[in-house]
Amino acid sequence: MSSWDDDETAASAAEAATTDVELLKRAWRNEKAAPEVLRFDSPLVSRVREQIQLLEETLDDFADSGVDDLVVSLYQMDLDRTLFLLRSYLRLRLQKIEKYTMHISRSDDLLSRLSPQERRFAKSCAEIMEKHLEQSVLSKLPYGYDSVTRQSLSSTEDDMVPEPQLDTFVFCKTKSDVGAFQLDDIGEEVVDLVADDLYVLRYKSIKGLVEGGRIDLI
Amino acid sequence: MYGRRASQLLKEIDSSEAGQLASFNSDVFDQVIRECNEHNSQFQSLIRKMVEQNLDIETTRNEDHYGAAIHHLSLLRNKRCLMAYMYNRAEVIQSFRWKVGPVLPHDIQEKLHFSEKEYFKNHSAAIKSYISEMDIDLTVDMVPPKDPYIQVRVLEDIGEVSLGDHSVSLTKNSLHFLRRTDAEQFVSQGLMEEFLE
Repeated sequence: MSSWDDDETAASAAEAATTDVELLKRAWRNEKAAPEVLRFDSPLVSRVREQIQLLEETLDDFADSGVDDLVVSLYQMDLDRTLFLLRSYLRLRLQKIEKYTMHISRSDDLLSRLSPQERRFAKSCAEIMEKHLEQSVLSKLPYGYDSVTRQSLSSTEDDMVPEPQLDTFVFCKTKSDVGAFQLDDIGEEVVDLVADDLYVLRYKSIKGLVEGGRIDLI
Repeated sequence: MYGRRASQLLKEIDSSEAGQLASFNSDVFDQVIRECNEHNSQFQSLIRKMVEQNLDIETTRNEDHYGAAIHHLSLLRNKRCLMAYMYNRAEVIQSFRWKVGPVLPHDIQEKLHFSEKEYFKNHSAAIKSYISEMDIDLTVDMVPPKDPYIQVRVLEDIGEVSLGDHSVSLTKNSLHFLRRTDAEQFVSQGLMEEFLE
């Protein structure tokens, strides 16, 4: 019977959505807590968008076939919350790009973490900001002091680009045993990271672990 | 005292509340620019004086060198202050796009420098182009949704609207209990607001 089939596909869609939604929630939390922009999870985002579409179609079917209001509102809630997570995830990233636009445009590593659309956005952002600063301030300053990234001709490196503070403290939780972990370059501070424990550490030290998915930011 | 006017600009940024912009202070701004050019001409004339005396600019350490150094450093400080002033204002302007929308109300527009108005326009366009490329509107849903239904108060007369399988009469100041997705389009246009007790 077609209604059973619909129920099954809806149920399995809901189940599959839960797992991916959990992944999205984790990516969202990490992005929220990290001071720099993290790697864009392209396959996850595509899957989530497909599932959102599936949920919307399911809801339309429900509206036509007169399913119980409570069930409809539950599915609607699920849809709303997933949509919010997705929008907030993309928004957080865009706002980080806005804030550190010049720093990101100069770093190939950071650029590689962005989706193609985000890369285009980052490029426009940097250009727009540069144009704005040039028009309003730099064009009126004497020759030799009119660079956006350097204080003056005598600066040896780009010293006017704002960068995110990578050594801020973050709350994090390990997912599995990591063992003795070196917190800084000199080898002075070593921390034993046990599974499922909460820690407050400098982001810079655990950056690699976050990228590898072995530790989650809260 | 060199650099005092520039720090006035910074004090202005510091004393304004987060997310708020004061009127662009073009008086002080232009004064600081004039100071910069003054410093530069003083700097150039001191260097020229040293060159005319056949002194090596890189290594000589006389009073002219130190004078030139002071002018150079003051210029740098003024430049940093000016850039910080513009940059911080630009960050607030960025936040306006997310909080207020693509069109700024008149009272905010009055406070902007001409270049800032252009910056806002271009920046909005960049965001818009990203949104249309991704096909998701990122300017709605700024707060996590709590209920599938929300209570709304109608701000302006909208008339009869058919939502789902029944029609609702949306007259000014009437309260309704609507589905969030239905209400959202009206709320984002400013025709309704969420009624929080």
